[in-house]
Amino acid sequence: MTALSITINGRAYGPMDVRDDLTMNDFLREFLGLTGTKFGCGAAQCLSCAVIVDNADGTSYTGPTCVVPAASFHGKTIRTVEGHAKDGMLSDLQKAFIEHFSFQCGYCTAGFLNESQVLLERLAAKPVARADLEKTIAEALDGHICRCTGYVKYHEAVRDVILSDPGRYLIVTVGGEAR
Amino acid sequence: MKSELRTMILVAVASLSISMLAAYAVAEAQSDGLATPESFASISDPAKRSVALFTELGKVLTHPRCVNCHPAGDRPRQGDEGRLHQPPVDRGTDGHGLAAMRCPICHQQANFEPGRVPGHPEWHLAPREMAWEGKTLGEICVQIKDPKRNGNRTLADLIHHIGADTLVGWAWSPGFGRRPAPGTQQEAGALAEAWVKTGAACPN
Repeated sequence: MTALSITINGRAYGPMDVRDDLTMNDFLREFLGLTGTKFGCGAAQCLSCAVIVDNADGTSYTGPTCVVPAASFHGKTIRTVEGHAKDGMLSDLQKAFIEHFSFQCGYCTAGFLNESQVLLERLAAKPVARADLEKTIAEALDGHICRCTGYVKYHEAVRDVILSDPGRYLIVTVGGEAR
Repeated sequence: MKSELRTMILVAVASLSISMLAAYAVAEAQSDGLATPESFASISDPAKRSVALFTELGKVLTHPRCVNCHPAGDRPRQGDEGRLHQPPVDRGTDGHGLAAMRCPICHQQANFEPGRVPGHPEWHLAPREMAWEGKTLGEICVQIKDPKRNGNRTLADLIHHIGADTLVGWAWSPGFGRRPAPGTQQEAGALAEAWVKTGAACPN
């Protein structure tokens, strides 16, 4: 057993005794009722179960929850799909996903959303040239599997959010144009 | 008739149970053994004995538990058949994965059986220049002695790496469903030491 303390979406949980063979996915879904994080392949291949892990240095990354023990998240700060909307208002990414009909069944959406959010934060810290944007988005979303709509609509949604605020996410030239 | 039916059902259940236990036994299969250095004492020619010792050690070096993390490409391999790692991952610049998919995101401090994910605190790929995949044992032997292609190790370092490095040691405790490397790490280390002491000769 491990006494697990963790911060999820800004809220502190624990210490809670968890079995060492309990997966993080089961902890989120069965212990905390945070069922927005899905269980897909169970082998870290589809990434529908991915959550955001926030490092102390301000950087973040996504990681699967289906194949890792909950105990390994002790002391960590994470974000799940439930943490994106604020005060009942969807985030820009969530709105864009809906506007683009990015998902149908929605099973993969939490993973795509978390990955896209990490991408936005990474670009805000280190913008890329417009010419590199398509490749950057494709590489960021690579590995997330969707069996309904294909990947283009997710890609377009993320691109729209970035292009709606080019000064934040893209390298802007002297003339003020994102190139 | 009822009794015959009951007997048939019991036999079927027993057969199924035995077959399931057999499958479990296969999954937990013991590794093949390794011959001891002493068993090569009858080979009087030191060079030939050295080759024989390395050939025995080669059962470990060419085992999937070792080769899968010494791949020829940038993706590790998995399973006894050496299939490409799923999910798709890349060695990255330091052998610990790409920035967005570092090895420890999935591979924890130890094997995690519920997720069937192997683990170790230093989980990573051997450097590209230390690739063994697709090479003959003779080629691996020459490579493993070359500091430019063995992580700048001396022969003494090699003995330690094979016989005591805990990441290498994972190969003998790979977790459920994975066939361990032959023998024990201690036995492999003893073979490596004997090979070095006899001149570290390589097979052709």
